[in-house]
Amino acid sequence: MKKIVYFFIATLALASVAYAAESQIWGEMRIPNILGYGQEQSLKLGEFFTLWQGHYITTIFLGILILIPTVFGIHYLIIGPKTFSHEGKKILAFSLYSRIVHQIAAISFIVIVPTGFIMVFGSFFGGGEFVRICKDLHGVFTIPFAIVVIPMFLMWVKDMFIHLDDIKWLIIVGGYLSKVKNPVPAGRFNAGQKTWYWLATLGGIVMIATGATMFFMDFDIAMVKNITGLSQIDTLRAAAILHNLVGFAVVILFFVHIYMAVFAIKGAVQSIITGYMEEEEVKILHSSWYRKLKKQGKV
Amino acid sequence: MANTWGYGAMTNHFGDIVGHSKAIFVIGANSAVANPIGFKHMLQAKDRNNAKLIVVDPVYTRSAAKADHYLRIRSGTDIALIYGILHVIFKNGWEDKQFIEQRTYGIEDVKKEAEKWTPEVASDVTGIPAEQIVQIATLLAKTKPATVVWALGITQHSVGSSNTRILPILQLVLGNMGKKGGGCNIIRGHDNVQGSTDMCNLADSLPGYYGLADGSWKHFAKGWGVDFEWIQKRFFEPKWMNAKGFSLAKWYQGVLQEEKTYSSSPIRALWIQGTGITSMSQTLKVKEALDKLDLLVIAEPFVNEAAVITDKKDDVYILPACTQFETEGSVTATNRSAQWRSKVIEPLYESKSDEQIMFEFAKKFGFYDEFVRGMMMGVKEGKIQQVKKDFVWPDDASDEIARIIKTIGLDGWTAKRLRKHQENWHMFDPITLEGKGPMKGEYYGLPWPCWNENHGGSPILYDVDTSVKEGGMGFRNRFGLEHNGVSQMADDKVTVKGSLVQGGYPEITKDNIEKVLGITLSDAEKALIGANWKVDYSGIIEKKCMEKGVAPYGNARARAIVWEFPDPVPMHREPIHSPRTDLVAKYPTYEDQKNNFRVEVKYKSEQQKQDWVKDFPTMIVSMRVVNLSGAGMLERTSKYLSHITPEMFANIHPDLALSYGIRDGEDMWLHAPHGTKIKVKAHHNVSVTPDRICLPYNFAGVFQGVDLSANYPEGTKPYTIGESSNIITNYGFDIITQISEYNAGLCRVEKA
Amino acid sequence: MSEMARMKFYCDDKRCIECFACSVACAEAHELPVGISRRKVVTLFDGVEGKEISTSIACMHCTDAPCEQVCPVDCFYIREDGIVLHDKDKCIGCGYCLYACPFGAPQFPRDGAFGHKGSMDKCTMCAGGPLETNSKEERELYGQNRIAEGKVPMCAAVCSTNALLVGDAEMVSDIYRNRVASRGKNA
Repeated sequence: MKKIVYFFIATLALASVAYAAESQIWGEMRIPNILGYGQEQSLKLGEFFTLWQGHYITTIFLGILILIPTVFGIHYLIIGPKTFSHEGKKILAFSLYSRIVHQIAAISFIVIVPTGFIMVFGSFFGGGEFVRICKDLHGVFTIPFAIVVIPMFLMWVKDMFIHLDDIKWLIIVGGYLSKVKNPVPAGRFNAGQKTWYWLATLGGIVMIATGATMFFMDFDIAMVKNITGLSQIDTLRAAAILHNLVGFAVVILFFVHIYMAVFAIKGAVQSIITGYMEEEEVKILHSSWYRKLKKQGKV
Repeated sequence: MANTWGYGAMTNHFGDIVGHSKAIFVIGANSAVANPIGFKHMLQAKDRNNAKLIVVDPVYTRSAAKADHYLRIRSGTDIALIYGILHVIFKNGWEDKQFIEQRTYGIEDVKKEAEKWTPEVASDVTGIPAEQIVQIATLLAKTKPATVVWALGITQHSVGSSNTRILPILQLVLGNMGKKGGGCNIIRGHDNVQGSTDMCNLADSLPGYYGLADGSWKHFAKGWGVDFEWIQKRFFEPKWMNAKGFSLAKWYQGVLQEEKTYSSSPIRALWIQGTGITSMSQTLKVKEALDKLDLLVIAEPFVNEAAVITDKKDDVYILPACTQFETEGSVTATNRSAQWRSKVIEPLYESKSDEQIMFEFAKKFGFYDEFVRGMMMGVKEGKIQQVKKDFVWPDDASDEIARIIKTIGLDGWTAKRLRKHQENWHMFDPITLEGKGPMKGEYYGLPWPCWNENHGGSPILYDVDTSVKEGGMGFRNRFGLEHNGVSQMADDKVTVKGSLVQGGYPEITKDNIEKVLGITLSDAEKALIGANWKVDYSGIIEKKCMEKGVAPYGNARARAIVWEFPDPVPMHREPIHSPRTDLVAKYPTYEDQKNNFRVEVKYKSEQQKQDWVKDFPTMIVSMRVVNLSGAGMLERTSKYLSHITPEMFANIHPDLALSYGIRDGEDMWLHAPHGTKIKVKAHHNVSVTPDRICLPYNFAGVFQGVDLSANYPEGTKPYTIGESSNIITNYGFDIITQISEYNAGLCRVEKA
Repeated sequence: MSEMARMKFYCDDKRCIECFACSVACAEAHELPVGISRRKVVTLFDGVEGKEISTSIACMHCTDAPCEQVCPVDCFYIREDGIVLHDKDKCIGCGYCLYACPFGAPQFPRDGAFGHKGSMDKCTMCAGGPLETNSKEERELYGQNRIAEGKVPMCAAVCSTNALLVGDAEMVSDIYRNRVASRGKNA
């Protein structure tokens, strides 16, 4: 809990730095920034950013936005969702604490991801006040996520290390390409969930850091330089590039996560709401965990 | 300057530098900062004529950054440098022998002094490498015409009046005087400084450099339409009429009386109008004097920080004066040109124009009628007399000036003509100042001397290759007809173009006019004519001179020896607080001065009181910042200008700063020999060498570390305040003009 | 000016003396917040003999303006005469244009409920913005529209040494070429 408090304080402190002074980026740092642009020795981040942001980023996001739901649609139509009996016993999968943490993160994501898309396609929405509000929401809803990301990381990390089952799971793509309900090799979390976990937590921290960098723009230059070895403007450019690249992955897996929870496995979403999973669901989709629980006599 | 050849003003002009100068020798001036637009002309000369720009300065200034040659001089050693250059010139026989022979007096004595100043000796004193002195001497000798440019870096020294003589001497030796692209171009730092100088807003002269002799007072009494006796009675005793007053540099001793003063009374009341006295040296003394006054009145558009540095709580009045945009009249540019300024808006709020304040003042004291009568005078039938019952401001004031000021030839500066120039400024050539079309025959702004209402002005002084009618003339005959048996007239071979009088001639007086001009005056003329050209309201002298192509002031020799001065030939003397104790012994300063501007001044006793450099090892150099002028009280009320220099600082070499453990941006104390100190931000900068620091003088509002914010009347605190560098400006004054030695001194650096 | 005129700035660093006239006049003319310099005057190698150099920088109104390429809300537009302008009502203050700009021209006055970046502000070459020309709204958001009045941009109008040149690219380069050509003559 202490950690959370510290993190929160740190975030506020960072924000107050931004409020404190006018920007040095077009003040005293302007010339070093200009000189750094496109020079032989430099990383050429300015040019790189212009190229990517100018030509590819929006297209890729559009591709993701169209492609992923399409794939899911086809999957839903051809293979269809998995349905498990709601008559059997239920197994407690998520404690109240983990559910609260998850829900806070979930709400954040539900706001952050669409508002992110609105910014990416800002010109489609005509810019202006609406997109600006979305930008602000994008930032504001990062705060709850920033608060829970560390607890979330800690509460699940012991179940998230790679296991032999994960490779098997990946080979059969978690059994989602078949209508047959064969037990799938997976522990408490399957390889897909694990990937999402690592991306959402570590990737999430990257997103928070890069996002905050861009949102507040002004930092203690020395601190930034110590961490990144980059000038402020290059840090900002790198942040923008990184934010978008990691964003691709986060968005893709976020869609997968939603699809799985809401559509692909009927009622799966209940487990994170109530904390209980259907016994059959555990038996099939988390067969290794089920065996373990059985051995422990918890089923 | 004036003591060398008659007039103390810029001899040429900026357009002339662009058009003709092949070399520009800038010393003690940082025009890029003090006169950006003036500096443009030097850059244009570089671009158009490939003129070589030479900058001599103790610090690497923005002007130096544009120079072809930069000479880093030690403050207060300008005379040594010029002698070093002269030594090389004489040694190689590069002097303009014909010019020296025909148009100067006393160069032999200069040559003798220059013999001592080998480049090596000059180098030791100035800190400039000997090879560079030779190089610059060669460049100046081989590149003609060359102009010499200076400003306050030359005048503000204990040897300022020698400085301003050695540079004209250099130009005389090089034969660059009275030539296009040559001359001595002294740049004025502010708008209309030349104008206020011409009007002699000083303690030692009536307007127009007339001095304080009875004859001058009588001339003015006539022009003003008042009795001489009436003026005389307004003085405590008649003798004070002819005595210089207290100077701006040392007025405070008139209050404090710490040094011996010679006045009828201590100063008890002070009226400040249009000067930032916080940018005067010895600011602590200024403060103490302000505290001690019975009455302090300030009339300015912005709060003068005199009201802020004083602890005086009662009897301090601040009157709102309006700005130049709310009034009308003429101002004088640095090149002696007049410019008419129109009123843009009516005075804001309850502010009043300077003249209104003066009128009210005169009314209260009961001499309003006498005060304004000069504007109602005129010359009728060759006699000055009151010609009307009312006056029109400012036209009649301008006409009054034109009528009275003959010394510098303002006769032609009538309001009507000046307005015409303002309206037709597009008809003048920016390089030659010549008018075109309807303005043909006139130079822009009628640069003085402008001998009469038909004269076009004189863009280049002392140019004998141009007729008097077109602005030509010889040197002024101001110092008598002969000295030590040598005639002070120009050589017979020097005839001003178009002059019917061959060779040199004296200044024209009632007594010599017939002989010099070879004419006979009628009895009527004899009855009307004034004693000499300076006081001749009848205009007869001027008229007769013009007919003969003669300049009323004569055609004389420029003199290198000023026999009235303590140093007839300029001598190098170490600053009062010199970093070179060894040189102080060799080149000591003057003997203490008993009475100048009513107060005694210490020289030798201060210089040799102790080995100053032991306790105060670092030299102080002053500088101006481009966004602030003078005491800065005007500009510091602009948020944008303030933002450029948000706080007081000092440029200090990183090596020096770090030797005291002072990092870039940290505070430091600077201690002065007279016991004062200021706390300023250290700005690591390599424009200064480790032996000196450089301070802007444009701040006030913090006094020896104490923030005076509370002393500002509500709502008047500027965006930035800071220590005034002049709190630590060392004691030291020029022997003649008493200008403070702002530009050489010592201090001790201490980490705050 | 020909129909194909492309408006450009050029600052002659042999002339620029860091007098700040351009920057201060710009700020005064457009009533900018303190700390925002649409035009900034800088000196490099300050005090280093023989190396010190001053110049004035602002938006360079690039032909292939990178800001215009990266803006997610397409708030930039390039006039026929080459002046790069933007629509402050569209701008969301994301900062991308700043990242893309080689000259650090885009700046963000603090604004809004959180005191963070408001709509971007940059040099308009005194050509206002997309609002009605010389309207009160245009003046408030973008500053004076001197171009519409047939005047030279403020900064170049006040340049004390004629270092800052503005106008049709070809004319500017002609002036500069003449200047450079005469340097070194009469040597």
